[in-house]
Amino acid sequence: MALLVDKHRPRTLESLTYHPDLSARLSSLAASGDFPHLLIYGPSGAGKKTRITATLRALYGPGAEKIRIDSRVFLTTSNRKLEFNIVSSNYHLEITPSDVGNYDRVVIQDLLKEVAQTQQVDLAAKQRFKVVVINEADSLTRDAQAALRRTMEKYSPNLRLMLLANSTGNIIAPIRSRCLLMRVAAPTEAEIMDVLAKVGKKENYKSCEDLERRIAHDSERNLRRALLMFEAVHAQNDNPSDKTSIPPPDWEALIGVIATDIISERSPARILQVRAKLYDLLTHCIPATTILKTLTFKLMPKIDDGLKSEVIKWAAFYDHRIRMGSKAIFHLEAFVAKFMRLYEGNLLGMDIDFDD
Amino acid sequence: MPSDIRSFFGGKPAAAVEKPPPKAEATSKKRGRARKVVDDDDDDEVVTPKKATPKKAKIPEPEAQETTADDFFGKGRKPKRTEAVRPEVKKTNGVAKDTSKNTPKDKASSRAKKDSTYTGLDVDEFPDDMDADEGGDNFKSEAKVGRRAGDDYQEGTDDDDDLPLLPTKKRASGKQGKAKAEDDDFEPDGDVDIKEDDDFVVPDVEEDIKPAKKPIKKRKAAAIDSDDDDLEVEEKQPSKKRTSPLKKSRQTTKPKMVTGQHEESAEMKAIFDSIPTVNAPEPPPKAEDGAKPKFQYGAHANSATPADALDPSQFPQGQENCLAGLTFVFTGQLQRLGREQGQTLIKQYGGKVTGAPSKKTSYVVLGDDAGPKKLQTIKQHGIKTINEDGLFALISKLPANGGDSAAAEKFAEKQAKEEETIRKAAAEMEREEKARLAAKAKTKPQSSGQAGSQSKGKEPDAPDNRLWTVRYAPTQLNQICGNKAQVDKLARWLRAFPKNQKTKFKMPGADGSGTFRAVMIHGPPGIGKTTAAHLVAKLEGYDVVESNASDTRSKKLVETGLKGVLSTTSLMGYFSKGAEEVEEGKKKLVLIMDEVDGMSAGDRGGVGALAAVCKKSQIPMILICNDRKLPKMKPFDFVTYDMPFRRPTTEMIRSRISTIAFREGLKMPPNIINALIEGTGADIRQVVNMISTAKLDSQNMTYDESKDMSKAWEKHIVLKPWEMVGKILGGGLFNAASQSSLNEKQELYFNDHEFAPLMLQENYLGTKPQRANKYQGNPKMHSLATLDLVSKAADSISDGDLADRMIHGTQQQWSLMPAHAMFSFVRPASFVAGTMAGHQTRFTAWLGKNSNQGKLMRMVKEIQGHMRLRVSADRNEIRQTYMPLLFDRLVRRLEDDGKEAVPDVIDLMDHYFLTREDWDAIYEIGVGDNDMEKHKIESQAKATFTRLYNKASHPMPFMKASQVLAPKRAPAKDRPDLDEAFDESEDDAPPDDVKDDEEDNDLSKDKYVKAPMKKKPAAGASKKRKSKAADNDDEEEEEEPKTKKGKTKARAKK
Repeated sequence: MALLVDKHRPRTLESLTYHPDLSARLSSLAASGDFPHLLIYGPSGAGKKTRITATLRALYGPGAEKIRIDSRVFLTTSNRKLEFNIVSSNYHLEITPSDVGNYDRVVIQDLLKEVAQTQQVDLAAKQRFKVVVINEADSLTRDAQAALRRTMEKYSPNLRLMLLANSTGNIIAPIRSRCLLMRVAAPTEAEIMDVLAKVGKKENYKSCEDLERRIAHDSERNLRRALLMFEAVHAQNDNPSDKTSIPPPDWEALIGVIATDIISERSPARILQVRAKLYDLLTHCIPATTILKTLTFKLMPKIDDGLKSEVIKWAAFYDHRIRMGSKAIFHLEAFVAKFMRLYEGNLLGMDIDFDD
Repeated sequence: MPSDIRSFFGGKPAAAVEKPPPKAEATSKKRGRARKVVDDDDDDEVVTPKKATPKKAKIPEPEAQETTADDFFGKGRKPKRTEAVRPEVKKTNGVAKDTSKNTPKDKASSRAKKDSTYTGLDVDEFPDDMDADEGGDNFKSEAKVGRRAGDDYQEGTDDDDDLPLLPTKKRASGKQGKAKAEDDDFEPDGDVDIKEDDDFVVPDVEEDIKPAKKPIKKRKAAAIDSDDDDLEVEEKQPSKKRTSPLKKSRQTTKPKMVTGQHEESAEMKAIFDSIPTVNAPEPPPKAEDGAKPKFQYGAHANSATPADALDPSQFPQGQENCLAGLTFVFTGQLQRLGREQGQTLIKQYGGKVTGAPSKKTSYVVLGDDAGPKKLQTIKQHGIKTINEDGLFALISKLPANGGDSAAAEKFAEKQAKEEETIRKAAAEMEREEKARLAAKAKTKPQSSGQAGSQSKGKEPDAPDNRLWTVRYAPTQLNQICGNKAQVDKLARWLRAFPKNQKTKFKMPGADGSGTFRAVMIHGPPGIGKTTAAHLVAKLEGYDVVESNASDTRSKKLVETGLKGVLSTTSLMGYFSKGAEEVEEGKKKLVLIMDEVDGMSAGDRGGVGALAAVCKKSQIPMILICNDRKLPKMKPFDFVTYDMPFRRPTTEMIRSRISTIAFREGLKMPPNIINALIEGTGADIRQVVNMISTAKLDSQNMTYDESKDMSKAWEKHIVLKPWEMVGKILGGGLFNAASQSSLNEKQELYFNDHEFAPLMLQENYLGTKPQRANKYQGNPKMHSLATLDLVSKAADSISDGDLADRMIHGTQQQWSLMPAHAMFSFVRPASFVAGTMAGHQTRFTAWLGKNSNQGKLMRMVKEIQGHMRLRVSADRNEIRQTYMPLLFDRLVRRLEDDGKEAVPDVIDLMDHYFLTREDWDAIYEIGVGDNDMEKHKIESQAKATFTRLYNKASHPMPFMKASQVLAPKRAPAKDRPDLDEAFDESEDDAPPDDVKDDEEDNDLSKDKYVKAPMKKKPAAGASKKRKSKAADNDDEEEEEEPKTKKGKTKARAKK
């Protein structure tokens, strides 16, 4: 009993529903025998991983789908033990170096070298090289990326890399130039609706186009989220109709509450209350930048047009700060205070200058 | 000179205008000015007058005409001014005494007080709801006002008259000052203080107080010559204390003033009269229903300094010691004066500040929100109440040393007495010193107790080069400052020790000390614990064996080292008299174990051993420590008799210090000594050290110097995080009046640089920003201003975080700490500083939240690790997209459907390799509607869930490497599974199935098993594994190579 999103995941390149040109290119690459390093990027829920899995299957056959998790211990230079999980099949491994934070360089160096220096022993294997899939490549540290660049060239006979990233922004140019860049765009709402309809049919759900459209819209073109929402709606209502409300995720609902709070009262005491809720979100593992972004977009419809550009400006400003600093709550709170101050000033139609 | 201001308000003919000026303020001002050089003052004092004058001047205006007439009469009467005043005084006095008659006077003064607000309205557009009833008040009390105004007027005239005089007076005093130096007779000015000074200057002269009287007369005469009319002079005479005939005559003629027992000279009375009083608000009625209005501490805390406090430079300059003998009580929040500032001011001028009003209180300095209890007392005793203006007036008007007021006289008397004792003590000391020297000269061991403590002196002629703390160590019990009872107790115990020894410590005795062989003296440093112990031992005829922190006192050394001491007698007595018979008293030994809490790591076991020794010692032991409550002092519980030493009060120390200063020829007025003592926290040793240092610089010390010195010598106390934040936000450091420098504010941060920014961030929203106060009148603007300030503070905190990242991040730029201090601590506080009333300083939540976040993050990571085989999402996606649905399917199902849902739940969990812990994590990680607090799962359902879950075996995707115990063969690390070749067939079966099968096999065989139940069968699979299973946790035991083999085997089987 799996969730729909995993149950109906396409397994082969042929069964992928959207981006047919991408699928075609991947399959021809897989067939060519000369497989380049890949850098696949695109937003969450666009189907990057699904495409990689399918490509691996195309490369090695079904054996690539027999995956397991191994745990390895790496020793840092300071003799700290790092525990690291590797998902692997006989033909590939999949790592998430950001799991070990700043020590990702150690993992990259040790592990990749080790893999690269060993030849494929399985004579039955279709390819002579192994594939290493690096998840969240955009959160690799500079050190780790630097460690990667030489490895990519030197060991290319034995090793091919597939880097997965949300954007190429954080990936250093030398790496980008060594890879075939492949962008997996988020599916359009129509494509999502298409997928939902298909899945609904397989599950024998009553088709309900308007609901699907709303889900597709609410999912922000994230297919994973769309499918999970789709399932949630069907789990909570036996017979959903066009009118059925789509429950937002818990954290998004809470951010909505925060937005209402901020608008309804602007005072230091209210900031304190908001701080408690922000802390709640942060401790429950919602990234600060997600909070800030969601909050900003929840506030947007509630404010004057004249204020919007200003608010967006400050949101971007504090977003940058969150990334630069270490204590996210400080910046979130500063944003809330700034917003209240702008909103209040706008409301009163006057401004105040304390530069005395 | 103030005429310009007045005319500004009054716009009357100059003469008329000049008269009405506010009685109190104007007078005070004039006086103040008069004290100074007359001409200059205008400029200086403009600020104060501005505020005060308008307020008072405006309202009386209508009545001014009346008053002027009155005035003129007054003027005519002028020479008899005192008489004119007297009846009035009587009246006021009567009123004060008689509560029933209180109202008229109250009203008058209330008018005076409220007027200020009223005028304030016009000028500052004060939003005042009170002005209506003020007006009413005004009218009602119009008659009264007239009277008052007349009153004022008179005083005004006085002032006018005085104006020319005052400079003369001043000159006179100046002369006195000069005279002081040359002419002993002239200076005493009728005041003890000065006499004291005298003494200090000429320490050798054993003066008695009598001569003081004469000079007074002289002075008086001088005064007469210089200025005042006869009457005033007559009245001045009483000022001389102890001029009994005069006093008597005064009593008959005049009503009593401040103290009620003595009469004041007319001049003093005039001064006291001219002090603008405010009337105390009615104490809140004692609620009939017994519900006492609760005093909310929070609303009063942190309100030490008002927002618009005066700059200390604006305080009036008074004559030295002018508040001598007066007792003040502060209550409520003053408008323009911080309470601490006020207290310092009063102390500086020799006044006394007490906490609660009583009969003896001369003035209550009243602010807003005065305590109801205090108001009650004020009303009961008819105590005079003044505000800051009154206080300033007092300071600027009263002559040096409190003039000749009754209070000052009393005070002077007291001072004289003190003086006497000091001189006696000094003489005593002198005698001792001589005796000692004599003894030294004879080179005979001095054993007479008194000088004994100073036995290691120098050659008779050589200068005494001992430390002052040694030189002036007490040599008699009565010289020990404070803790008399404890010292006596100690002496008693020591005396009774031989007797107790005979009774085998069975008799507790009167104070229960009889059963103890050891006492423990504890108390803060510098209050004479060691001194007392040594002295008592000496006086009781014991020889002292001392051990302190300079000796190693480990367990072994205590046991062996003390053994020799504990059962021996002193040989001192044998040697003391040569071959003659043993001096009985000298055979006794006492062991003084000093600085017991200083037993450190090097003294391992020392405390325990010492405690054991205390139980069986045959000689008395005195243990001394600072902090009895330390955990390491626990072994002494019930073993020693505790004698807490407390800090002596200022008075106890002062006489001793005065004696020392006197002997050393230092000139130190009592208020300076007080400041020193208070500044050091009654640490006698430190005060002595300080004056010994001061002696090097000069022969005297001013009040400010003493303050500075005690500040410089201040023991550095690291502030607690709470105190830090309270100080920076609510401590008035950002007042215009505050003298604290940027550096001092930054210093606060360095008290604890880790907590300071966090604490500030936690609490900066709890203040009422003082900078927003200027928009007080407009609630909207005020809230905008507040938000603006808060936002700026938050921005600054955000800046600080960036600096923090540079410090604690990879760059380790520790030199940025001052910048961090500014951004994260000082600057935010500069925006939002203000009263923290109603806000409870909280401890920073960040630490807790952060660690909680870390914990939950690990859980999410774990979950993601488990789900990884099925799910491609990363951690954040898991949390944001899967969790809400999983919560629905795992937690809500259980909540809604109870135990029926359990199989489904477990099925889903198994599919995603989720463990029971993961379920708990999912349960915990919801927010908002999914908050675990909002979803209580029936305990029965949960129990069923747990039971069923534990009963079955569950697939586990992998093992944690850290939980694999040291492998017997090569470590996993050396042989990654990937290098192993194993036969892999390309199954034709649908991949899903294959995978599942494989996993199932794998998992069961390899004991990827969570439940202990499952372990046994699994363990059977392979012997090797079994042995491992024994080693490991029930949860995981695994090692890569083996797994591989297991898998291979499994596959082979298949």
